[in-house]
Amino acid sequence: MEGLNFIENRALIALLAAILPLFSFIIILASKRGGGANLALSGISLSFLLSIYLFSQIWNAAPEHKQLSWFLMGKVQFYAGILLNNLSVLMMVLVSGISVLVHIYSREYMKNDPNIQRYWAYLGLFCFSMLGLVISDNLLLIYLFWELVGFSSYLLIGFWYSKQAASQAAKKAFIINRIGDLGFLTGIMIIYTQFQTLDLVTLFGDNGLISKASIENDLWISGSQNLPEIWLSIAGFAFFLGAMAKSAQFPFHTWLPDAMEGPTSVSSLIHAATMVAAGVFLIARIYPVFNPIVLDVMVWIGAFTAFMAATIALTQNDIKRILAYSTISQLGFMVMALGIGAYSESIFHLTTHAFFKCLLFLAAGSVIHQLHHYCEKNNHEFNYQDIRLMGGLRKRMPFAFWGMCLASAALVGIPLTSGFLSKDSILIRTFEWTATRDGIFVILPWLMVLTSWLTAFYIFRLIFKVFFGEPREIKANKLGLINDSPGQMTYILLVLSFFCSFIVFAFNPASFESSWLWKGFQVSFIKEINYFHWMVPLILNSGSFLVIFLSYRTYVTGKGIKSMEGTWIYHLSNREWFFNEIYNFMFTRTVEKLSLLSYRFDRTVIDGLVNSIAAFTKIISSVADWFDRRIIDGLVNATGTVSGYIGRFFRNFQSGRLQHYLTTMLLVVLSIFILSYLI
Amino acid sequence: MIPLSHFLLISAVLFCIGLYAVLTRRNAIQVLIGIEFMINAAVLNFVAFGRYDKIAGGGQMFALFAIVLAAAGVAVALAIILNVYKYFKSIDPTKTDTLKD
Amino acid sequence: MIMGIEQIIFYFFAASVLISALCVVVMKNLVRSIFLFFVTLFSLAALYLFSLADFIALTQVVIYAGGVLVLMLFAFMLSNRELLNSLKPSASGFKVNNFAGILISILFLFILLSAIISTDLKQLAWIQESVPLSPADNTTHQIGIHTMTTYLLPFEILSIFLMMALIGAAHLARKGNKA
Repeated sequence: MEGLNFIENRALIALLAAILPLFSFIIILASKRGGGANLALSGISLSFLLSIYLFSQIWNAAPEHKQLSWFLMGKVQFYAGILLNNLSVLMMVLVSGISVLVHIYSREYMKNDPNIQRYWAYLGLFCFSMLGLVISDNLLLIYLFWELVGFSSYLLIGFWYSKQAASQAAKKAFIINRIGDLGFLTGIMIIYTQFQTLDLVTLFGDNGLISKASIENDLWISGSQNLPEIWLSIAGFAFFLGAMAKSAQFPFHTWLPDAMEGPTSVSSLIHAATMVAAGVFLIARIYPVFNPIVLDVMVWIGAFTAFMAATIALTQNDIKRILAYSTISQLGFMVMALGIGAYSESIFHLTTHAFFKCLLFLAAGSVIHQLHHYCEKNNHEFNYQDIRLMGGLRKRMPFAFWGMCLASAALVGIPLTSGFLSKDSILIRTFEWTATRDGIFVILPWLMVLTSWLTAFYIFRLIFKVFFGEPREIKANKLGLINDSPGQMTYILLVLSFFCSFIVFAFNPASFESSWLWKGFQVSFIKEINYFHWMVPLILNSGSFLVIFLSYRTYVTGKGIKSMEGTWIYHLSNREWFFNEIYNFMFTRTVEKLSLLSYRFDRTVIDGLVNSIAAFTKIISSVADWFDRRIIDGLVNATGTVSGYIGRFFRNFQSGRLQHYLTTMLLVVLSIFILSYLI
Repeated sequence: MIPLSHFLLISAVLFCIGLYAVLTRRNAIQVLIGIEFMINAAVLNFVAFGRYDKIAGGGQMFALFAIVLAAAGVAVALAIILNVYKYFKSIDPTKTDTLKD
Repeated sequence: MIMGIEQIIFYFFAASVLISALCVVVMKNLVRSIFLFFVTLFSLAALYLFSLADFIALTQVVIYAGGVLVLMLFAFMLSNRELLNSLKPSASGFKVNNFAGILISILFLFILLSAIISTDLKQLAWIQESVPLSPADNTTHQIGIHTMTTYLLPFEILSIFLMMALIGAAHLARKGNKA
């Protein structure tokens, strides 16, 4: 503090905002009695208020950067510090805001869970690590929080660890995240080798080292260091790998659907809004490092991920899995947007997606919660997450229904929603970008349009199957037993619904350029073509309405597309493009076989060696024992026995018998005679 | 005349017979008899050599003394044997082993 | 070689001594052995005669056969009860504990015999210078003289010794003595 006014020391405020959830984590874990809900909520609310304050100070103002020296390794000094710019404060508000909402929602959703103390603690840990991630100012610190976020995610996915599927899913998430972390670390190492610093401002700032480094004669030159040019691409790919694993891009997406084993509130916070956005955030943070080759790859991976996830979501039957694949698909949009250079559009979509995806998850959580309640009360066992068994809940759960409808509209990009602004902006930019490219790139925007239409189809399939029609599993007369979710949950749904509208982000519902958020990041890499700005939304939305109508006819009235169950396309989609089976075959079984092999080796060879040494020692010891007992003791005993024999022998001479004495005397005399005769 | 060595031979054999009797008989009186044999063998030896000693007559004199001493010895020995018999109720020398270790 | 009647009688008496002595020590029956002892003593007396020691021979008969032997017989009879029990025949043949006795006797015999045989008696100095007795000598007369002159002191001591033995034996053998 040192004389500096607290209010003006923004870095300290940011640090405090990040540390508060950590304190709540530590205190809740350390305290014995249950509860901790209020402590966690107050901690995160305070963080939220501090974040709002910082937002007001930093947004579109000068960035704040403060550093402390962290540790010295050899002659190299590493720093730890806080960097606050537009991106950081936006993410801070987003993370803490959605955390507050989820905290309040969880009070009701997780009310009767016996392990709720752990839940609040882990949420605190997660918030701390996510907030720390967004305010870190150097790559090493970001990596530290990156790992911590992955770890908190593991803890929360496996919250109900007694369930086999949950702990498996947690493991899977963590392992795939680790693969990405390997890439991240490789990138850090390459950057460090080249620039000898990991500081974000030094590297990626306006006059940063990255921009000053040039490629000449196949060498990547910066200052005094030269590396072959290929290393720049490798660094880019390495960082992108980290982001891919964290943000569930193809081929590292398989953990996200399985992560739905965690509580729904956790899914909404982590796996919809914040943690999976961390990968996109990282790419945005270190954007200058990517060269055109890496960016092109990014585009295709993002696009493919979006398309693939949308096709899979069409045939899934678990309500949360549909939403998970939807998340993957939207993340693909964001990654692709970054690849084509639509920086601000991607961040914009990240923000709007956080809200409406959170709303989707929480509404689904309401439905699940109420059906679960119904199951327990009426002893009617069924999988309350399967949409095929639901139906007709519209009348009984109006809040959940309308919340979900609004969020779905935002997801599809219906006009007057926030999603319309962000998603269409990405598509417009895609069209503009491909205008400058040729070849295979031409299909890119149409692929994204198709994906958007598929998105509309599957999300409304979900709504129609859950809320419309006749109840499939529950008898119609028992439907009256289901009520809407209790107060706290409903209020949150209302708040989030508000954020799905366009009002929050722009006053003009038709133009994304007027959004204050978009303006905060206005970075233009792409040449604007005005034609697309009205053409693309028109095509997109009319197609979406058609698709929604088609979906209505298929699932509500039954006169639309006939069932394709049994065809190979259906199977491909339903089995998630067989990724899990492929990975299991390629990797899991290999690792298991390897582990079995090393186990056998360890047991037979290593343990065998140790056991044989032990056996050998036993043999030696038994030899020593034999030696000691037989020979050493034997010698001692023999001495005794021989003395005894000699003693007894000589004792017999004193027999007390006269004739024996005489015999002995004469024997002695005789021997003297004989000896003197012989000698 | 009988050669001197014949007498000596007889006395030697008689002495050894007496020695055997002393060493191996289980009756104290027979042990005493053995002792007597030994003394008699000695007396025979004296007498044999005494044939050559007319001047001093030592051989025959010593023979006389030896006989007398032997008789006294027998008397005392028999008295002892009687006492032993009273105490041990047996005159087997092997039975009187209270001095054994 | 031609043996005169003297040698034959000598060998006869010598054989008698040895055989009776052997029987004395070998026999189990105590009475018989004592009586064979009697025979031995008499034969010894005869042998003394061959060595021209007539007085010794008579003294032998009188004192030994008449005194010692009778004394032994009395003593045997006085310690009767236990002795008769011990006369029961033990295991025939030699016992192992006889082995040492036989060994020692034979060794002694061996030593004595080797000493006697290896000595050339005729060459001994004092035998060559000596004056041997003749059968016509009056040994009794000589013994009497020698007793009173040369061997007076041993004679007197012997008489005292005899008295001591007498008193001692009488004391030892008295009734009621628990010593």
